[in-house]
Amino acid sequence: MRIVHVSNRALVVPGELLAEGDLRAGRGAYKEGQKIFSSVVGLVEIGEKEVSVIALEGCYEPRVGDDVVGVIVDSHMYGWIVDINSPYMGDLYAQDLLSKVDVTRVELSSYLKRGDLIFAKIGEVTSLRKVKLQARGAGYGKLKGGRLVEITPVKTPRVIGKRQSMLSMIQSVTGCILKVGQNGRIIIMSEDDKKISAITEALYMIEREAHTSGLTDRVKVFLEKRLKEDGEKASD
Amino acid sequence: MIEKHRVLSLLKKEPLLRSLQQGKRIDGRTFDQYRPISLERHVIKSAEGSAQVRLGDTTVLVGAKPKKMPPFPDAPDEGGLIVGAELRPLASPTFEPGPPDENAIELARIVDRGLRESKCLDFRELCIEAGKEVWVIYVDIHVLDHGGNLVDAAMLASIAALLDIKGPEDPAWKKDFSLKYKPVSVTIAKLGNCLLADPSLEEEEAMDSRITFCVREDGVISAVQKGGSGYFESEEILRAEEMAFTCAEKLRRLLG
Amino acid sequence: MEKKLLIEGRRLDGRSPDQLRPVKLKAGVLKRADGSAYIEQGNNKILVAVYGPQELHPRHLQQPDMAVLRCMYNMAPFSVEERKKPGPDRRSVEISKVVREALESVLFLNLYPRSVIDIYIEVLQADAGTRVAGITAASVALADAGIPIRDLVAGVSVGKVDGTLVLDLNAEEDQYGEADMPVAMTGRDKRITLLQMDGHMTREEFRQALQLAMKGCQQLYELQKEALREKYSSTPKEVTG
Repeated sequence: MRIVHVSNRALVVPGELLAEGDLRAGRGAYKEGQKIFSSVVGLVEIGEKEVSVIALEGCYEPRVGDDVVGVIVDSHMYGWIVDINSPYMGDLYAQDLLSKVDVTRVELSSYLKRGDLIFAKIGEVTSLRKVKLQARGAGYGKLKGGRLVEITPVKTPRVIGKRQSMLSMIQSVTGCILKVGQNGRIIIMSEDDKKISAITEALYMIEREAHTSGLTDRVKVFLEKRLKEDGEKASD
Repeated sequence: MIEKHRVLSLLKKEPLLRSLQQGKRIDGRTFDQYRPISLERHVIKSAEGSAQVRLGDTTVLVGAKPKKMPPFPDAPDEGGLIVGAELRPLASPTFEPGPPDENAIELARIVDRGLRESKCLDFRELCIEAGKEVWVIYVDIHVLDHGGNLVDAAMLASIAALLDIKGPEDPAWKKDFSLKYKPVSVTIAKLGNCLLADPSLEEEEAMDSRITFCVREDGVISAVQKGGSGYFESEEILRAEEMAFTCAEKLRRLLG
Repeated sequence: MEKKLLIEGRRLDGRSPDQLRPVKLKAGVLKRADGSAYIEQGNNKILVAVYGPQELHPRHLQQPDMAVLRCMYNMAPFSVEERKKPGPDRRSVEISKVVREALESVLFLNLYPRSVIDIYIEVLQADAGTRVAGITAASVALADAGIPIRDLVAGVSVGKVDGTLVLDLNAEEDQYGEADMPVAMTGRDKRITLLQMDGHMTREEFRQALQLAMKGCQQLYELQKEALREKYSSTPKEVTG
């Protein structure tokens, strides 16, 4: 037996009653007795077995399997300490970046030093929230070049879109690759300042309007217009 | 944690410098352009004079309160001015709770010198009874949101708060209280070879050093402060002074 | 000298005994803070910022299984008629503590072990009831920061003037009245998380005062929800066909 009190994608606030009965409380929601309430400001998602709320604000909480963009903050004998835009720092051990490494014989800073950007996967999160990163494999590791853009972490799924719709659109319209971290950090792999500027504005637009529908189309229209204008200016 | 901020702000430095090399600031402003400013007077009723300045993403609130006190023994017929500044922790993740640190104290002292040395206040007019009682005006600077260039926002709000003073309900307060001058401060940051007026937060974090000029409407300079651990060439200082004079005229118009 | 605070059932500012002062509440007003809110209630002007959750330094202050909540209540020097010397005084320290305790129970602190959540309450202009107005705004600031909470907490003070119980004291009523009772309550399930009283109340008066306070908190709860919704209410036009 179940009763749902709100419609899908409704905007809810903390403490609001969402549903009752044999449903689970997903992220952004909690269950007391038979009732499920929202714990954040966000959009309701009613699933088969679960009711959750997609938060519109919030910090990045590391989850196993997430791709993240990290910044090297410090190094030690076995690896590096990485800022992942979270209340928790990430640990990257040398063997999770390089194959066949003998830490006693190698100068780690020759691989990664303070200020370097990396693309990594969250490998493990302990109960104490110690986060272990993995950076081996194609597409992972040190990022050379590219521009960093930061948005509210909880809105990164919107940058990717359902079935990658938003991300593919941006990449095909602009011809640039974007490396998107679930932690709110996106790297625009380009040296073209005009494209970087256009994509940056598009990303902030997505951040501002994440709670609306028809966004992918509006962003496409914006990018096409902007790149056309830039193209016309360049040929003046 | 402050560590983390430093590494992240260093990351933002490179695109910023690249943009400057092409003659552009990262937010599209010209080198001598200020961010959008708004000035609101009489915002706090419990202060005799008050003003809030929004300069870009920076918000500073200043309250001016005259208080009756005995004079200093070495100036028995003069009132006074006491400027305090607080970098409230709510304004930035880099502000820690506690008594004013060196940045808060420097800010207060720059504004103090700018006001005091400009002679905008005639301290003799603030005397009630020589040797016994004078008016001391407390100017309290409360930084609410740190988006860069706190000095100029604080100075503008301070002078606006003083101009806003509608005296305490006290017969001893001179109804014709007014300021003789309207000093205004202009802060210019040095990044590489570029001089940028009104540095934003990112520009401040990337800058080599900064220089602040407090100028009166007649061009007299009442205070100068160089800040940051970088250096200026002497001709850069002269160029900065010229930029400051032009910017000051525009800022002063906000005071009406 | 006795000061009359009630004249023919009306308070000096024209309100009836069970009426709140005019309230303005806005979410997301600061750029740097993770969450923020601003409240005007009568002549109160209070700004609240929330930072976190973030790593807690120094390490020895960290709790292995939960976040630490810190709260700092501060009055600007110009917020009161008699200029207040900057810095925490005993009153601010106590208020910081009871406000923290009023909000702690709605937070899911176990979600963020070893971290810290900071709440900063800045009173810019004071007119009695600042700690409870601060709580009302702080709940909104927490939600604005995206920090999960069970419920919003709203607060209001009740007092007694000329023998009559009144809701939402202003400074004059607080100074010349016979009792002052700040109360904070969760909006949905009406749990009392802050309660203080100083003054003179009979048992019956206390019971009634509590009821009156809870009524006031409910009204503020509606304003809190509205303030959070309002932030997302302006949506751009959709692209059609």
